[in-house]
Amino acid sequence: MTVIETAATAAAPVRRLAWQLARVREIVTETYRVKSLMLDVTSWQGHLPGQHVDIRLTAEDGYQAQRSYSIASPPEDDLLALTVERVENGEVSRYLVDDLRAGDQFELRGPIGGYFVWTVATRGPLWLIAGGSGIAPLMAMLRHRARRKLRAPALLLYSSRSLEDVIYREELDMMARGDPHLRVVHALTRKQPQRWMGHWGRIDKALLPQAGFPPSQNARIYVCGSTPFVEDVSRFLVELGHDPLAVKTERFGPSGE
Amino acid sequence: MTENVSDLVLDGNAAGGLLQEIFVPEITSAQIECEACGSTAAVGTLHLYAAAMGAVLRCSHCDGILMRAVHTAHGRWLEMKGARYLRF
Amino acid sequence: MHETPISRGFRSRRQEQTPKDRVPPGQYVTTDFPVLSAGPTPQIKVENWNFALQLGASLLGKWNWAEFEALPQTTIKTDIHCVTKWSKLDTTWQGVTFDDLLKAVGMAEPPAGYIMAHCDGGYTTNVPVADLIGGKGMIATRYEGLPIAPAHGGPARLLVPHLYFWKSAKWIRRIRFMERDQRGFWESLGYHNYGDPWKEQRYDGD
Repeated sequence: MTVIETAATAAAPVRRLAWQLARVREIVTETYRVKSLMLDVTSWQGHLPGQHVDIRLTAEDGYQAQRSYSIASPPEDDLLALTVERVENGEVSRYLVDDLRAGDQFELRGPIGGYFVWTVATRGPLWLIAGGSGIAPLMAMLRHRARRKLRAPALLLYSSRSLEDVIYREELDMMARGDPHLRVVHALTRKQPQRWMGHWGRIDKALLPQAGFPPSQNARIYVCGSTPFVEDVSRFLVELGHDPLAVKTERFGPSGE
Repeated sequence: MTENVSDLVLDGNAAGGLLQEIFVPEITSAQIECEACGSTAAVGTLHLYAAAMGAVLRCSHCDGILMRAVHTAHGRWLEMKGARYLRF
Repeated sequence: MHETPISRGFRSRRQEQTPKDRVPPGQYVTTDFPVLSAGPTPQIKVENWNFALQLGASLLGKWNWAEFEALPQTTIKTDIHCVTKWSKLDTTWQGVTFDDLLKAVGMAEPPAGYIMAHCDGGYTTNVPVADLIGGKGMIATRYEGLPIAPAHGGPARLLVPHLYFWKSAKWIRRIRFMERDQRGFWESLGYHNYGDPWKEQRYDGD
């Protein structure tokens, strides 16, 4: 459990990063290929929304694989949540999504990253743009915002392939219904249900000013998804007049948006 | 076989774990100035290559190498001759 | 001493059934072909490509693509080993051996003991000449019968398969002979100067 004291925390010295043991308490199925792992990490010191962890798996023959995953849970929660999408031919993601069970363990180190971080101490409207599993760190931000009952405006633009691929769908619906200051706009890029009221197709340069904050509102913008997604969206934002320094990006490996 | 390497290009955020073994203050939010083109950016926004061998961090404007880091069994290496400064 | 915890049920997808004498210590066999680059993939047009052999300030030889393709071609089947622990068995490469390059510039003996490979994008690696002659090294232009893909070093890469694969420099453009050894890109940042996978020479100090 962590208490966020000040906005300056992101620049504060970091405790030495060491590998710790993470034990799986519970596994939550988010979609047909995405699961959230709820972890008990022995000496967890807390984290800021947007940070990630490195995890390391060791096989019996000594083979090791290491990957990074964003923390999807807010600092207010006791268990650490990592949301993992099964990637085709992904040796780690396939293990985590298909084989891992409650009670299993692996090594973890973190929290890592101070650049791609947002807390309620940051002023200004919050604009989150997610591509596929890029929603994970942004969900930590939204969950933190909800726990803290922040009233400042927030918008999530979330691109997924189809409705079945939307991660945290019910939770996002509930959050938006319960909070007049939060808007959630879904873009479905490949398959849309009949009578789809959200955006059809990719998040494009037309949708951004239509749905988003104008540059004059100085929103803090966070974009997370695959490299092409992040590059396209951040380029559009800058072309639309948003201050490049107000746009923070994090690129994920292969993902489905 | 993966043909398109650019999809796999991550950013300095992904090198956070490796770099944080070396730096005391938080590194991904530090500002770094490129010796080659003079642009300044947060380390977390640099283009990360060769992550499996260490980290090669390149300027997002000119692709010049700003930082290289390797963690070996015998110690950690850091080279930053492509950067004018780091500001925390 | 901290014992690394085992993750139940995690197995590498790398095959278990491999002859031990084919796989160096610490390596795991893979059937895919991971891409690892120190920088963006250069987009090289063969019409603009050339390759040179240098000694000090002298140019020993230079070939454009057509000229290079006209040199004697050799095909080899070999295993490759990456320092990041994957090994790939029975890979087929075609190109011009180092021996044939020396013959092409009229040299019976290599003019110096070491070379530095210089590549598009700025990558470098150093190799002793003794590890290139006698068929041990080539400039490869085909992988599995097809032109090498840009992400894998095409149009031409150095191939020195008995050393860790970072020595098989992608996008090679120039081989510079050196009297004294100098460290290349990874060798100057903690990696082993020589890189014999059978002695597990991954890092400087191994």
